[in-house]
Amino acid sequence: MADVHDVHDGLVADLVALGRSVPSRPVDDAFVRRVADGIAAVDGVAGVSPAPPHHRRALSRRVQAAVAAVVAVVVGALAVPPVRAAVADLFGFGGVLVREEPGPAPSTAPPPPGAPSHLTLAQAAELVPFRPAVPEALGDPDGVEVSADRRVLSLTWETDDGTVLLDQIGARLDYAFAKSATGVQFVTVAGNFALWFAQPHEVVVLEPDGTPRRETARLAGHTLIWERGQVTMRLEGDLTRAEAVVVAETVAETVAD
Amino acid sequence: MRRGDPDAYAPLVRRHAPAAVRTATFLGAGADAEDVVQEAFVKAYRALDRYREGSAFRPWLLRIVANETRNLHRSAGRRAAREAKAWEQVAPLLAGGRAGAAAAASTGRDDAAEALEAAERRVALVAALGRLATPYREVVTCRYLLGLDEDETAAVLGRPRGTVKSRLHRALRALEADLRAADDDRYRQEVTHDG
Repeated sequence: MADVHDVHDGLVADLVALGRSVPSRPVDDAFVRRVADGIAAVDGVAGVSPAPPHHRRALSRRVQAAVAAVVAVVVGALAVPPVRAAVADLFGFGGVLVREEPGPAPSTAPPPPGAPSHLTLAQAAELVPFRPAVPEALGDPDGVEVSADRRVLSLTWETDDGTVLLDQIGARLDYAFAKSATGVQFVTVAGNFALWFAQPHEVVVLEPDGTPRRETARLAGHTLIWERGQVTMRLEGDLTRAEAVVVAETVAETVAD
Repeated sequence: MRRGDPDAYAPLVRRHAPAAVRTATFLGAGADAEDVVQEAFVKAYRALDRYREGSAFRPWLLRIVANETRNLHRSAGRRAAREAKAWEQVAPLLAGGRAGAAAAASTGRDDAAEALEAAERRVALVAALGRLATPYREVVTCRYLLGLDEDETAAVLGRPRGTVKSRLHRALRALEADLRAADDDRYRQEVTHDG
């Protein structure tokens, strides 16, 4: 079955534009305080005492486990308390951890590796635990590959500007990519939070216990990371931020119910 | 995250509050949107034990927001009255927005005509949305106005994915037909006025 978007392109675009014309704004500190007060009031009534220290330890353990089990993105110069960032990102982002790390950024990145085309999209769809998505802006991929553990689907396109790579990573990951970079920016894809890496950065695969597998490290170029349902999407290639967002917003599912 | 660590909850609140306020607003919370979301965050915190690890936090939170928004209009009486009241909060917001500003900012005559036409189309679209039955308007609101995907829409509205899919499909067809009919009416009016 064709996606409902296909037959109602103009209408869908108008509806999306209508939604976006109403600006969204961040909440202020007073709002966050009111929530905290609300929680304190409720806890007071229920007779729950303030968090004892063991809760914090339990939290860190969970975060450590989560970090090992998710996509990790490591960025230049330590600024955010890692636990806080991890908790926020764990919930917000299909498990992308943004952690800032000291050190100069690498200067140039080679194009992303092409995925050898030995699978069709339909074959790949049978292997991964989620529905593969294809950006209409790029069309049918030139390469389709599924990782040995069936967690990551990689699509590639050979374009005039070189290889464009789209990784789709199931939410429950046994390993992850870690990165180090400067210049990470928050952007939105179809109204949702996304991360844009303008600078080359290192991509490292993490073992399930969280240790980085250094031999697999490679430099990555411009990258956009966003979440789509239960799947984390990672688009890499010689794209501008605007181009990457356009590509991301044209993603459509390939397999209907 | 477990209940008992309010400090760790603050970043979650900051991150998800804008989408939550937007959801409450578009589902009809009006000026109470922030209060609704604040209450939803408190409820979500209390229910963290029931939150299934590994599932996404956002749809789970937005579901609570949607329910809280519905509760807001409980005093309005019957269901139809409640739904009408909710839409009254949303329609002016959607019909106004930046369209007027765009028309005022444009200098050239072509630009002004274009802006006017865009504003007219927008008003017609909002009116057509208003004529849509509430269950259909809700899926369109979540999926397109709020930009949620189908799974999130299903989670937020508490409906099976298949229902969301079929309702979306029918809603889009109904909107297209309604807009075409409204356009024909307008054309007939213009012809009558000119003649």
